Amino acid sequence: MPIEDDQFDKLRIELRRGSLVLAVLAALREERYGYTLRTLLDDAGLPIEEGALYPLLRRLETQGLLTSEWREEGRNKRFYRLSPDGEAILALLQAEWEAIGASLGRLLK
Amino acid sequence: MDLIERYLSAIKRNLPARNADDIVAELRDAIASRIEDREDELGRPLTSEEIAAAIKDFGHPLVVAARFRKQQWLIGPEVFPFYISVARIVLLTVAAIMVAVGVGQVLFGDREPLQALLQTIGGLSSSLLISLSIVTIVFAVLERAGFPAEHIGTWNPEQLPDVGDAQPGPWKAAAEVALSLAFLLWWAGLFSLPIPAGSAEFRIEPAPVFAELYWPILILAAARLLHNLIQWLRPRWKLVLGVTNALTAIGGLALLAMLYRAGHWATVVSTGLPAHEAAELQTSLDLALKIAIVVTGAIWILASLGALWSLSRERPRHATA
Repeated sequence: MPIEDDQFDKLRIELRRGSLVLAVLAALREERYGYTLRTLLDDAGLPIEEGALYPLLRRLETQGLLTSEWREEGRNKRFYRLSPDGEAILALLQAEWEAIGASLGRLLK
Repeated sequence: MDLIERYLSAIKRNLPARNADDIVAELRDAIASRIEDREDELGRPLTSEEIAAAIKDFGHPLVVAARFRKQQWLIGPEVFPFYISVARIVLLTVAAIMVAVGVGQVLFGDREPLQALLQTIGGLSSSLLISLSIVTIVFAVLERAGFPAEHIGTWNPEQLPDVGDAQPGPWKAAAEVALSLAFLLWWAGLFSLPIPAGSAEFRIEPAPVFAELYWPILILAAARLLHNLIQWLRPRWKLVLGVTNALTAIGGLALLAMLYRAGHWATVVSTGLPAHEAAELQTSLDLALKIAIVVTGAIWILASLGALWSLSRERPRHATA
């Protein structure tokens, strides 16, 4: 049975969705505002829709993993960076990610 | 720029009021940054069509706004299995009651079958819609209250029915519950069936014994409804089922005995019927009702003995399990 593009796309999106939080947290070890964060992720091969990115940033901030502040830089921009809790979670998620990668690597051999 | 402001305004209308301004300010910057980037690439200002395309690419205002809401769904994947299960039970019960009332109106009432069918279909659709709406609202509230987390944590596998348990199918169980409920409501006077009890020359009135036994019959019907509900929803509660079955069987037989002893269950009141014909009718009616009571009693005794037999066979199987 031929694999349909649509089927592959859905599975691919599902697979990548889980890694986006990790990617956002990792990228915010340095302070960034939304637009530069999105272009950074895009350049790194992890594109994320703006419609999904901004709500995600708000959610992570509500969970105490990010801090933010408005600053004037040409225009008023909201800058985000990891909070101390966010750094701790990032370390745990990174270890988890590496364990998953190693496990999958063994299975896929 | 007017288009961007209209777009942001459409988003803002659907955002939580508490931080709408803050979110809109951030989105305004995001759109402006995207347009500036594109203008840098092209080396010229964007046309209004290009700005419209960039905005369209950003997303529909309702979708963009919805993603900022805490609640992303009415009934989520964790609550959904419970919702579907309860909705099925409620809808089957409502459908069975409506059908039972419809059939009752044709059999005992003065409704034409076609008229009763059309009324039942009409009533059925609105009743099902209302029932489903109520169940949906209840589960939407439970979704917000975090219902399933507690239930999933506390459910007990010991309560699962045995593989061999004769759990009634959903239609049979719904029909039993619906008939019990319909009788209870009818007996309590909450709705009436236009049962023909006589003609122009006479009418049949229930004997005083039914008024004397009003409460015992009401309690028995309620207990039987409870038993049917437990059998349907909690078939593993065998002890409770055994007790409710035995109590309702004993209560039912005691009531039948009291009824039998009354010796008179309905009175033919003549409104033009000759006296000797009325007396003959009364004799026939008394005989028919006497036979009905005896046959009902015999059926109940056999059914109770059958239930006791099943229960006694059930125990050793559990003891070895």
